[in-house]
Amino acid sequence: MGRESPAEKALILLRTRLCDPNFIFRPLCESSDSNYSKLKFLVSSSITEACNNSILLLGPRGSGKIAVLDLVISDLLQEYPDTITVIRLSGLLHSDENCALKEISRQLCTEHQLLFSKMASFDENSQFLIAMLRECGLAHKTIIFVLDEFDLFALGKQRLLYNLLDALQSVTSQAVVIGVRCGSAFGKRVISRFSNRKLLFLPPSKEDIQRLLEHILLLPTDSGLPTDYVVEFNTKLQNILADERFEEIINTYLNIDSTIKDFLRYLFRSVSNMDLQSGMLLLENFKTALSNIQRHPKMECIKDCSILELYILVCMKRLEVKEHNSYNFTTVMKEYKSVHDSFQTSDYYAKNVCLRAFEHLLQRGLIEFIDNRGQNQSVEYRPVKLLISFHQLHQGLKSYRSCPAILQKIMDREK
Amino acid sequence: MESETMLCTTDQCVEQEPQYTHIDRNEFSQRRHKKQEEEEILICECKCDEKDLESACGERCLNVLTSTQCTPGYCPCGVYCKNQNSDMVKEERPQITRRATRSSALAKSVVEETDTSSQHPNDASASSDIIKEESPQISRRTTRSSVLAKCSNNVVEETDANSQQQPTLDDLVIGEGESFSFDDLVSSFPGKESQIKELVHLLGPQNSPMLPIFIYGGSSTGKTSIVLQTFRHLKRPFVYSSCLTCYNPRIMFESILNQLFLHRKKAENGYSSAKRCERPSDFVNFLREALVSIIGNPQGQKSGLSSKRSGKANGNMIYLIFDNLERVKGWDKGSTVLSLLFNLYDTLKMPEVGLIFISNTSPDTYDSNMGYVEPNPLYLPDYTDDDLGQILMRHQANKKLYTSFLSVVLRPFSRITRRVDELSSAFSLLFRKYCEPITDLGVFPNEEMKRKLFSQFQPHIAPALNEIFKVSTQPSTEVEARERKPKVSTRKSRGYEVADQLDFHMSTSAKYLLISAFLASRNPATLDASLFDSTGGSNNRKRKRKVSEKSMEQKETAEQELLIKGPGTFPMERLLAIFQCITSVAEDPLDDEEQAQDGLGIQDGHCGLMSDVLLQLTSLCGANFIVKGGSCPLEGSTRYRSTVSEDMALQVARSIKFPLSKYLYRR
Repeated sequence: MGRESPAEKALILLRTRLCDPNFIFRPLCESSDSNYSKLKFLVSSSITEACNNSILLLGPRGSGKIAVLDLVISDLLQEYPDTITVIRLSGLLHSDENCALKEISRQLCTEHQLLFSKMASFDENSQFLIAMLRECGLAHKTIIFVLDEFDLFALGKQRLLYNLLDALQSVTSQAVVIGVRCGSAFGKRVISRFSNRKLLFLPPSKEDIQRLLEHILLLPTDSGLPTDYVVEFNTKLQNILADERFEEIINTYLNIDSTIKDFLRYLFRSVSNMDLQSGMLLLENFKTALSNIQRHPKMECIKDCSILELYILVCMKRLEVKEHNSYNFTTVMKEYKSVHDSFQTSDYYAKNVCLRAFEHLLQRGLIEFIDNRGQNQSVEYRPVKLLISFHQLHQGLKSYRSCPAILQKIMDREK
Repeated sequence: MESETMLCTTDQCVEQEPQYTHIDRNEFSQRRHKKQEEEEILICECKCDEKDLESACGERCLNVLTSTQCTPGYCPCGVYCKNQNSDMVKEERPQITRRATRSSALAKSVVEETDTSSQHPNDASASSDIIKEESPQISRRTTRSSVLAKCSNNVVEETDANSQQQPTLDDLVIGEGESFSFDDLVSSFPGKESQIKELVHLLGPQNSPMLPIFIYGGSSTGKTSIVLQTFRHLKRPFVYSSCLTCYNPRIMFESILNQLFLHRKKAENGYSSAKRCERPSDFVNFLREALVSIIGNPQGQKSGLSSKRSGKANGNMIYLIFDNLERVKGWDKGSTVLSLLFNLYDTLKMPEVGLIFISNTSPDTYDSNMGYVEPNPLYLPDYTDDDLGQILMRHQANKKLYTSFLSVVLRPFSRITRRVDELSSAFSLLFRKYCEPITDLGVFPNEEMKRKLFSQFQPHIAPALNEIFKVSTQPSTEVEARERKPKVSTRKSRGYEVADQLDFHMSTSAKYLLISAFLASRNPATLDASLFDSTGGSNNRKRKRKVSEKSMEQKETAEQELLIKGPGTFPMERLLAIFQCITSVAEDPLDDEEQAQDGLGIQDGHCGLMSDVLLQLTSLCGANFIVKGGSCPLEGSTRYRSTVSEDMALQVARSIKFPLSKYLYRR
């Protein structure tokens, strides 16, 4: 498809880069004290020394643990071809040990061109695993187990972990278990078997961010794009990167979401706003992306409400201020009536209309039932709670296009 | 078995066309079929020898010993397994044909039963000069949900074409043939231009990967239709699955896989899915397999394309759309499914896959203890009043007239709700009302006419506001009913519409039962004795009230409690006792003059009152006037609760002239 304009090509290139973790994390791995080199050293030493090992990768979600691990593994696969087998499990999918063992055998079978039988029982699968571990150990081949979402394996009886780690200690094998996790709580039984090696993934520093920005956004000269376009694009981009306002925008974003994945998401949003006519990235794109990505869902919900729904919200808030610790639709209706009686509002509607508005609020997620029990109790009597704070409601009413003055007054008075 | 019975009956009633519905398996009325989980399948340890077929699952088989049937496909003996239910073995069913004479029918059916070669139904009917059997008409469904039917008016054509030809990747594109410009797209959604632009930007140019998008906004803000129309405009292949119609993980997984494997459920494959898939882990494996096969050889798929179809899939991206995502929260194990879906992009690691989530609620309502990297949010706000006007104006014959109508009604109604669907249904009736004085609907209203119409229409607005959500069972009579109602509601200053007559029919005993249920729910059980003594209990009530007046505060909290707790529950015995009391009081001619009048009528009906009272109770339960609650842990009997509002109860009481307020305990 050669009819794409250079701008479109550049956009596709940038988007492909942003969706490719291998590309993103490569430059962050260069220094010698990076997690990449530490991890690579650990794994490769256990390959060369033919021993068992276990490592834990810790860090907040989206900090690129799996991406770095993938880089390490792909490099090692090139370095030591035919000696590494990688088994990948995810706690989300295989937290059930039966299922996990099946998946392990399936992956082992496809790796070694064996016939996998879905009929194999748990026992057969675990015997198969132990046999494979032994065989691989004898052949000096390393099996790397990657356990993503490690927390979920550590829940419950932990039979898989226990079996696996136990097998590693008893059998002459050669395996590396790498756990990847975001949480912190841990079971004793597992930790006693797991080595204490941990790698911590921290949010990127300012320099890293700067490096990433240049690495991702600058167009390469040898990609088949017209040279003058690339030069123009890159100079404009350099100007933006040097701009103080840009730095400010990036800082406001990083103050809220600081992991690399979040940052990539933001860049993706900015890049997709690129104007294809001019084909240049502008400061505007970064600004709009910031406002688009940082939403205030509750405020938006309040803005979407009809006036009757606002009345109900204010009534609930009033009840809360009056320290009624639990309330339901009927008590809210009573409050609504008393508001109407004392202020003579023009918006007084029948009960069934209010009930529908109440249900709309439930749908919007502004209020919710306190308990999930009481299914046979009708909606009117089930206790509810507000999911927005006083301040949010107040702000929401202020920014509402045509908020009735009476509601504002009530809210001001309650303050 | 079924075929046999059919054969017997066919010759008895040759003239009459018997009505049969074909059932594939037995349907038990008392219990439901249980689905066997993959984990529950018992697998024996038999080893089958090809030469000695007797060795397969014989008497020493574990499953035979435990009286369990081997599951086909899982038994190690495979097709040789003998531990199978005899009727599970698939055999060619005899073709059922209708004969002119009895003897020939018998002869023919015997022949067919012995000849097991699969005779094509068409051949069979063609070869024999007999009345062709009515084969059940199989309605061929599209794999898409009906939402799509709205957008693409050539769905029907598509399905017809597909019945002949092999499905291709292009079936994942809708709206083939016609081009659909961006301007058309924007103009069909008033007030949503910036959001559509944003969506197109996020989807990016052809063949560009994307991060997951999360589209959210209130109901009826056009989330689904905007996404689908955008894809129609872009002509890119996508897989749509709504969590509303796919109401559990398995159905959702299988529907996605069916669409990806270009598999269509039909009679030939017994309406089965492409893959049996229950677990998330299987789903991810199958999904990867399907995506690799589709992305790997799109060219090969396209070569089988017939020349008629011009709608080609653009690019090599596949988009998965998950609609109504908020439903998943209510599922069994919904949180794991949610975290699976949100992490799907990272799990698959395939840049050719785009994920789009559509949800009613904002992303912050999806809190899970697992966490995930949030997808790109895209917010569709509710329509403003102007947009609402524009949308409602579409498809109106007389735009001028409708504008003047909207200028009257839109403002007050949008204070109550801003949902297009609710407004349009409310307005459709009101507009008829508005047009009543006009004879010619094509007229362009001038200022004077508008004023006249407004003055005639104005009294209807306020009551209509309070009826906006009322579901009318008979839309034709609604308009007439409306004429009566305004008077009622104007008299009631509150605006509650309380019609004097009941708008439903109910037997007298059912009414009494309803009232007694209402009393049982409302009054404390301890006061029953004093309220329902022989004198009717009005004296006692006064004394009670004086006591409660002493402490106002206590009264208030009690009232609060009543509002919070709602109507109480009661056992059936209490209901029956109250029922007996009030019916016997009603019979008493000395009690009240009013009741004496129709006391006769009640007495007549009373003979049968007690006999079918339980039946009445069940029918009241069915009509949702009384709800069956959980059983009381101490007594063990089922408890009931009345859901009738006080207004309604008073109305019912008035219709049978029962002094309800006398028995109502007021705090």
